[in-house]
Amino acid sequence: MRYDSITEAIGNTPLVRIDPAVHGLRTIDLYAKLEMLNPFGSVKDRAAWSMAEPLLAEAVEQGSQVVELSSGNTAKALAVIAGMHGLGFKSVTNRMRVPEIKDLLLLLGAEIEELPGQSECLDPTATDDPLTLFHRTLSASGSAYLHTDQYFNARNTEAHLTGTGPEIVKDLDGRVPDWFVACVGTAGSSTGVARALREEDPSVRVVGLVAAKSDFIPGIRTIDEVQEVGLFDPETYDTMESVSADEAIEGMLTLNRRCGILGGPTGGAAYFGAVRHLRALEEESQERRTAVFIVCDRVESYLSYVRQRRPDLLGRPPRQNSPADLSDAEVGEAPSVTVAEARRWIETDRPLVVDLRSSYAYAALHIDGSVNIVDELFAELVRGGLPFSRRQPVLLACPVGEQSARYAALLTRMGHPDVRSLAGGIIAWRDAGAPLVRD
Amino acid sequence: MDGRPLYLEPRLEPRLRSLVAAQNTLHSLTDGLGSPLHVVVPDQIAENLERFRSVYRAHHLSGQVFYAHKANRSSALLRRLAATDAGVDVASLGELQHALGAGFGAGRITATGPKNPEFLWLAARTGVTVSVDAVAELDQLATLVRKHALAPVRVLLRLSGFETTGVKVLSRRSRFGTPVGELELLLEAAERHADAVDPAGVAFHLDTTSVAEKATALEGSLAALELCRSRGLRPRAVDIGGGFGISYLAEREHWEAYTTGLTEAVLGRRPPLTWGGHGYGLRNESGTLRGTLGLYPAHRSVAGAAYLDELLAQPAASLGGRPLAALLLEHLYDLHTEPGRALLDQCGLTLARVLEVRAQDTGGELLVRLAAKADDIALEDHGVLMDPVVIPRGGAGPGGGPVAVHLFGSLCLETDLITRRTVFLPRRPEPGDLLAFANTAGYAMDFHATRAQHQPAARKVAAWQDGDAWRWCLDDQFWPITPLRGAQ
Ligand SMILES: Cc1ncc(COP(=O)(O)O)c(C=O)c1O
Repeated sequence: MRYDSITEAIGNTPLVRIDPAVHGLRTIDLYAKLEMLNPFGSVKDRAAWSMAEPLLAEAVEQGSQVVELSSGNTAKALAVIAGMHGLGFKSVTNRMRVPEIKDLLLLLGAEIEELPGQSECLDPTATDDPLTLFHRTLSASGSAYLHTDQYFNARNTEAHLTGTGPEIVKDLDGRVPDWFVACVGTAGSSTGVARALREEDPSVRVVGLVAAKSDFIPGIRTIDEVQEVGLFDPETYDTMESVSADEAIEGMLTLNRRCGILGGPTGGAAYFGAVRHLRALEEESQERRTAVFIVCDRVESYLSYVRQRRPDLLGRPPRQNSPADLSDAEVGEAPSVTVAEARRWIETDRPLVVDLRSSYAYAALHIDGSVNIVDELFAELVRGGLPFSRRQPVLLACPVGEQSARYAALLTRMGHPDVRSLAGGIIAWRDAGAPLVRD
Repeated sequence: MDGRPLYLEPRLEPRLRSLVAAQNTLHSLTDGLGSPLHVVVPDQIAENLERFRSVYRAHHLSGQVFYAHKANRSSALLRRLAATDAGVDVASLGELQHALGAGFGAGRITATGPKNPEFLWLAARTGVTVSVDAVAELDQLATLVRKHALAPVRVLLRLSGFETTGVKVLSRRSRFGTPVGELELLLEAAERHADAVDPAGVAFHLDTTSVAEKATALEGSLAALELCRSRGLRPRAVDIGGGFGISYLAEREHWEAYTTGLTEAVLGRRPPLTWGGHGYGLRNESGTLRGTLGLYPAHRSVAGAAYLDELLAQPAASLGGRPLAALLLEHLYDLHTEPGRALLDQCGLTLARVLEVRAQDTGGELLVRLAAKADDIALEDHGVLMDPVVIPRGGAGPGGGPVAVHLFGSLCLETDLITRRTVFLPRRPEPGDLLAFANTAGYAMDFHATRAQHQPAARKVAAWQDGDAWRWCLDDQFWPITPLRGAQ
């Protein structure tokens, strides 16, 4: 395969059969359409290119900025496309809750604006919501923006009507699957594919999946939020079902670990929703039937999402010399000194004073002559062994004397003969009227 | 879902639950004092304060919790709080006088909001901390201090318009505070007035439910404090205002089912759920839902002290990614908060007598008229949707299953609707029954109340538990040492 531009690599994604031993369906063949293998990483590459391409020449001429309301994948694809054409890109959203995605967008050169939250005190004089204001800004400024408008743009749906849908039929040797299962975000992919499949065979059944109302699954809307989408038409779906975040992650794990498909939570939600839906229908008939679901994007961008919801999945083996391993009794017995004792000790024995606070706090005010080793860095240091000579007395200080007691206990356990914690910390030091400097 | 009642059952914690169950007491109170009637529960505010304190303790933070007085005029609540170690945030001359009279020493009072000269003078005279909005206010305050030979006044510099790097967090524009970009001007003024004012730190209050916006502001405040220090000032505190919220409803499912029902009703897929098809900000544009739901998010997984906890756990990207709480602690700053609504969670209810229950010729909802005006029960004004609890006059009442009703007030005005939505009640109310609107203490009791058309504004009583019984007195008669206050 040889291409002149990366955008030519959009589409023609593989359709991969899921091993029946994994999903457990006896009479239904289940296939995953791997949209995660598009060049910018997701199903949105198609829509982004379809929406932007016809407008690019003019935008380049006028130096317009590309803008979209997007929390992730569309923004990613548009940021790349805009960059390739020397244009800026701005994403406006209040749904971007996964930090890696924000960082990746910034890396790709995107500008991100977060919409303000709801008012805590209802303001009866408020005339417009932030989204209405956004649309007004866009139309007021004429041609300064190329707004792709993914929730209302028919070219979003069309990309899947002419691409994704026919590809599925082609890879099933001209047959239309009995079921098509897709998560609903902009409704573009589900609507486009559903339309393409129905044109071939109206008996296909379409399952739309949304996020459970109180849950957040990146890229999917809830049953109410889909109503705000211009491309959404309830008639498209034979049934709408909801998936919880936990279920999406469960499905994702199965795809990742057992199928070798490194899809993200929406792919997981689609897999989970598909199997749950199909299992209930399997008894209907003994005929062999086929179902297809979409894996929208890749797992790598969602590690912090997983860490927040399922920290157990990211468990690591315990570390050496960690303050977390100390018992309360050990911490309680950590050698410590009061402010008055510390001041005398500093006068007489000149211990190394280590301030464990952040560099910003240290820079603002600290004990004269102390060194700053931020606690996180200190934890790294001691993992490899004692960072000070045994002959060097050490006074550890933190805000209230809690962390320093832990580290004093740890260093003592590691064999340091004279390390002490400043009882009550820098706060006690200040409250006792002892000098703090800024140098 | 069509036709099935969509309940929005209030969240009742044990104290308020017990009060709602004291049906005879509530009837005899309204028999004696009229309808509508507000009942406040002062002991609850002390318990809520303790929840905020425990968040401070968990993060080792010192500083004051200032009750935002604006949310309720009650003397009983204020005096009960005066008996704790809390502070109070006053936003007017009247509130300041009230706080001083309730027993708050000046060291426990902070003055915020728009200030007239009398308010400024009394604050300066008594030694209250003043949250200064702008250079002009600082000038005005300094002039007062000099002219009347007062001691230097402790001030917090109130900021707004915080900005982020990387991801831009848009924020609603505020009328209050000086944009952080103009902090230098404010500091120059503070230096000019060094003889009259003592800048103790910075402050902000953002009217938003968004934790991200507040985290941005708190991070920006830390940077502002650093700027103060670099100019040789010795700031000690940051005041992050209020807005920690209440979760009003008992069941998340109720809230979800209701808002979905409302969406469907707006799109014409089910019968209207409101008087006149009002959409609470939502509208139907050729089959697509537009607008924003203008309702208080009445069920929340995180509110009040837990919201503060979540805010403090946010990482500060520009300061090495450490949690905000750790940064406050490490910098030795006091944290001040000004919860209004959140401190009043579960602190009271409003009673209204049913005057008339009328069936419409067309069938449908019952029209229920209450002895109260909409402004006496201002939940709807704040976008809080929550069902009242029916307190029958004679024991269990006739029953007969769920009904849908519209609740109207007693004013001769089409707009005097206690609720704009159809309310589902588990049984038909009868004239003489009481409806108890729970959790009205935050902004929904007296914030809007008028005496229009010579109709009385609700009276207020304070109630407390004495063993199994509820005791009460007029709000104004309540002092923390009131006899028969039981264990207190
Ligand atoms: C300065 C200030 N502090 C505190 C509050 C109280 O906020 P809440 O009642 O939402 O906690 C307000 C409310 O407007 C305010 O303006």
